[in-house]
Amino acid sequence: MEMTASDLWVLAQAAVISLLMALAAIAFGTLLAVALTPLAFAPWALGRAIYRLYIFVVRGTPVLLLALLVFYALASFWGRISPYAAGIVVLTLYLAALIAEVFRGGVLAIPRPLWDCAKSLGLPRLSILRRVVSPLVARYALPPYLNVCVMAVKASSVLSIISVWELTLASREIIERTLDVYRVLAVAALLYFIMCFAIDRLGRNLESRLAARGFAGERL
Amino acid sequence: MIEIRGIRKSFAGVEILRGIDLSIGAGEIVALIGRSGCGKTTLLRCINFLEDYDAGEIKLDGEVLWYRADSTGGRRRCPEKDLARQRQRMGIVFQQFNLFPHMTALENVCLGPRFGQKLAADAAELRARELLSRVGLADRLNSYPAHLSGGQQQRVAIARALAMKPQVLLLDEITSALDPELVAEVEDVIRALTQEGIAMVLVTHAMSFAREIAHRIAYLADGQIAEIGPPQEVLDRPRDKGLREFLRRIR
Repeated sequence: MEMTASDLWVLAQAAVISLLMALAAIAFGTLLAVALTPLAFAPWALGRAIYRLYIFVVRGTPVLLLALLVFYALASFWGRISPYAAGIVVLTLYLAALIAEVFRGGVLAIPRPLWDCAKSLGLPRLSILRRVVSPLVARYALPPYLNVCVMAVKASSVLSIISVWELTLASREIIERTLDVYRVLAVAALLYFIMCFAIDRLGRNLESRLAARGFAGERL
Repeated sequence: MIEIRGIRKSFAGVEILRGIDLSIGAGEIVALIGRSGCGKTTLLRCINFLEDYDAGEIKLDGEVLWYRADSTGGRRRCPEKDLARQRQRMGIVFQQFNLFPHMTALENVCLGPRFGQKLAADAAELRARELLSRVGLADRLNSYPAHLSGGQQQRVAIARALAMKPQVLLLDEITSALDPELVAEVEDVIRALTQEGIAMVLVTHAMSFAREIAHRIAYLADGQIAEIGPPQEVLDRPRDKGLREFLRRIR
């Protein structure tokens, strides 16, 4: 049996779910990372230790395992829990670790003399963070950040394990019904590709706009 | 106006500054010279507390800067807020310009007054425009650093340091990174500033420029001021043996 036009429509809908899950997790993950990164530079050892522990645990665990762990943990805590909510939590925790490291790299990339300059102007810490550090980190971190965003779309496929109905799960359902393995998988792959490509284009657009605003000299 | 007493500073067990004493009067211009590694840049950075120092005291108009005595007879860094306020009374210009790459010339100069001194946006901008035109960049207000020559960037950096209306300007080899034909434009700006009575401490290898603008020249060797005096004395009749050797070598 071949897949039908309505199967195609189903896959397209599932792709939208994948994308929404990924986007929500990117948004929350970025917020969590914004809170985490300063911990990496905290003056107290405890803050730095918490940061390292978080990165170590979350980054060192396969997403699949993390998904099962969080899903069952949340379920035992609250009883029944929506797999979609659990899915967003899982991806958020995972992405936050990756993004926090991306941001940390951005902070480390700021040349020491620029810190000196900001200090010598007598700027309060908050102003240094807001006017100097954040805009520079945004520029340095953008390429690896986009990398994480693209990964997020693909990582969302793991959520099929906790019965989030997204592109991968939908594909499997259709394959089981039609046995049209290769065509279904090809369509799914194409949909993933389109989503990733769109993020990539969006990101490059942003990059060149920042470059036009005077970062790192001429446009490449 | 600035009183530096017994500044000592070690890096990784090596003592770079071994008790520096130096007084700088209001409007006085002092040039620091010496071999590379003699501690002149470190001293400049200590004055502005970009480096902490192990011992000694720096006063500006009688106010002890950067550290406070604590009850145990030791000392303690001033809170960040005080450090920021104290730093605003000095401007520093670095060898490598160090403009913020994501800001235009105007934004670079506005930053300090706007967010350090909490001036209103239009007042900060007015001051910045004035300063930039004084350093000859009235037509480059909206250029980003990457689109400016080294000499232009350094002039923006000078305007940025002046924007806080500092009492002292610290200049760290500000022409060393420039192409020879760009040195003059930066020196001209500094020369013009000497007419305004702002005190300056400059680290430099440009002896003829130091001779021209400095009231006194201090020769640093082994973390101490080995000789200090008016340019004619220090450069033409050096008493210190190391200084004679140093001057012979750079000529």
